[in-house]
Amino acid sequence: MILSFTDDYSFGLLIGFVCILIAFFAMMKETDDLHRLLLTDVIEIIALVIIALIGTDLAEALILPGLVVGIAEILALAEIYIEKEGLVKTPENFLKIEIMDTAPGILSAIMLIYGVILSGFTGGAVAGLGLLFYFLCRGSQKKTQILETISGYAWVCWVVAFIVFMTIPQYWFFAVMLAGTGIFAKVAAKMTIVGTMRGNRDV
Amino acid sequence: MYELENINIEGQVVTFIPFGDIVGYLTPYTAILFIFAAVFTIIALISKPEKQVDIAFGGDAYYTKNVSVKQMRFQRFMAAACGLATMGGVLSGDVFNFTLFTAMVGITNIGIVASIKNRHILDNAYEYGILAMVGTLPLFAGAAIIVATTGTLSMWILFTPLVTVPLVAKLLLVIGVLAEGMAPVYVAKAEITRAPGAPFILMVHVSSLVLFLRVIEIVISM
Amino acid sequence: MSIIRKVSKILQNQNNLVRVYSLLVIFVIIIGIATLPLISYNENQLYPKSVDMKSPLNPYDRGGEPFEKAEVKAQYPENSRYLGYVTAYLTPFSLFISYNTLYAGTTIVSHPGGIIDEILYNTRGLDTIIETSILFIAFAIAMFLFRRNEKE
Repeated sequence: MILSFTDDYSFGLLIGFVCILIAFFAMMKETDDLHRLLLTDVIEIIALVIIALIGTDLAEALILPGLVVGIAEILALAEIYIEKEGLVKTPENFLKIEIMDTAPGILSAIMLIYGVILSGFTGGAVAGLGLLFYFLCRGSQKKTQILETISGYAWVCWVVAFIVFMTIPQYWFFAVMLAGTGIFAKVAAKMTIVGTMRGNRDV
Repeated sequence: MYELENINIEGQVVTFIPFGDIVGYLTPYTAILFIFAAVFTIIALISKPEKQVDIAFGGDAYYTKNVSVKQMRFQRFMAAACGLATMGGVLSGDVFNFTLFTAMVGITNIGIVASIKNRHILDNAYEYGILAMVGTLPLFAGAAIIVATTGTLSMWILFTPLVTVPLVAKLLLVIGVLAEGMAPVYVAKAEITRAPGAPFILMVHVSSLVLFLRVIEIVISM
Repeated sequence: MSIIRKVSKILQNQNNLVRVYSLLVIFVIIIGIATLPLISYNENQLYPKSVDMKSPLNPYDRGGEPFEKAEVKAQYPENSRYLGYVTAYLTPFSLFISYNTLYAGTTIVSHPGGIIDEILYNTRGLDTIIETSILFIAFAIAMFLFRRNEKE
């Protein structure tokens, strides 16, 4: 059978469909719980591919929510998996090298400042890595709770920015700044929490 | 300003709420769904959790299952979030926005169930969680194919007879909601309802029912 | 065994849930492949993308100068009248980069008002509100389970 494609989009969609077929076939055959969790990630990525096929700026704006939904669900599911399998064993000896005693302060300060300059989503990720490194070396018990509070406030920032955009659009500049700060604090805090969530006293 | 052309199912627009590109609306049909979801959310918010009693056969012994305050609070929060997401999905006038609300319903449902500390129930919650995760692919793919072929996501335009939406996009949307809302999957639900905490578990059923009625309306109108 | 009993025997095992669903998806995708010739790309898209290799903001050049209005094709322009301003805004730092190098766009620095913010925050802001709420709920679930283990 010779398929004639009206445009590039149909061709891309065909490839996407074939990928979906393969992924779901694998999902059907796999029985191990952990492997199935990993396969769901494969499936999430194909969803992003199908969105990306649109090829406009709108597609980029749709990918971000799609990506975040996938990450969020895999996070919750992984935690359920740990809970149901009863995997609470804490690592016995953790990486100990000299640099971890001397570097954290300055290195995370540099990354934090660089993150603020970059701002937005990327900046948040960079600053989050800096904080993560700091907590990794210095140990954290109560600090994660502060971070959770920060991420809560960041969420509020974002919502306020949205309300400003919708009700008083002439103050768009304020809203843009607020949303930028919100996303920065949110991404930084979330990255740090994910990194430090390991149930150990040191990390 | 905005008008629905296809009023066979839902009737005239009662009110609309513009949020930039996303213009939500209420029609008599969706208003009923909205009120239904709102009533059950309020019930979940004000009611106390049910306490199950296990009776040991062959004797007089029985024991009540305890629901801790922490767990109750968490479940109530999840049930409220689930109710809000359901109401949002009913209000939404944009296909991608609707799929996001559906995904949110899926994850809050996981939360309601997963808070119970029982290996048997957690097994089912995991199974359902995988289903909800996998279900985001048909949802987003359906919405993406709709944008690519019609150039819009707004239901106000998609419902006009001039715009034709491919069959596969409609089917993908429906099976996506199937997985997230778990509407027909009563097998897993039966396991889940064994868990203590009745009024919160109720939200799982309400949300799936309401979302399913909504997606069918969307798909037929398109 | 009657066919109904056979079917219900498969369905009653919750471990088959995902398997049955996968079959359903595969079935729908096969329908999709069969009807593929009927699907064609609509050229009249919102927020169209054009790549100008000469621009320093390439591939994210959306036109306009900061504090001037850029032309953006939104669904309902009357709902967000200041959209063009949000598109054109750049932070002073990224403006500096874009004046001095050709590669400001390649760092995908999503400055406030930089890349696709006007869609993300403004016209489709509700989407991102839900998206952050989903992340928030996922964290609530993970932290609840994590903390519960910590105590005992």
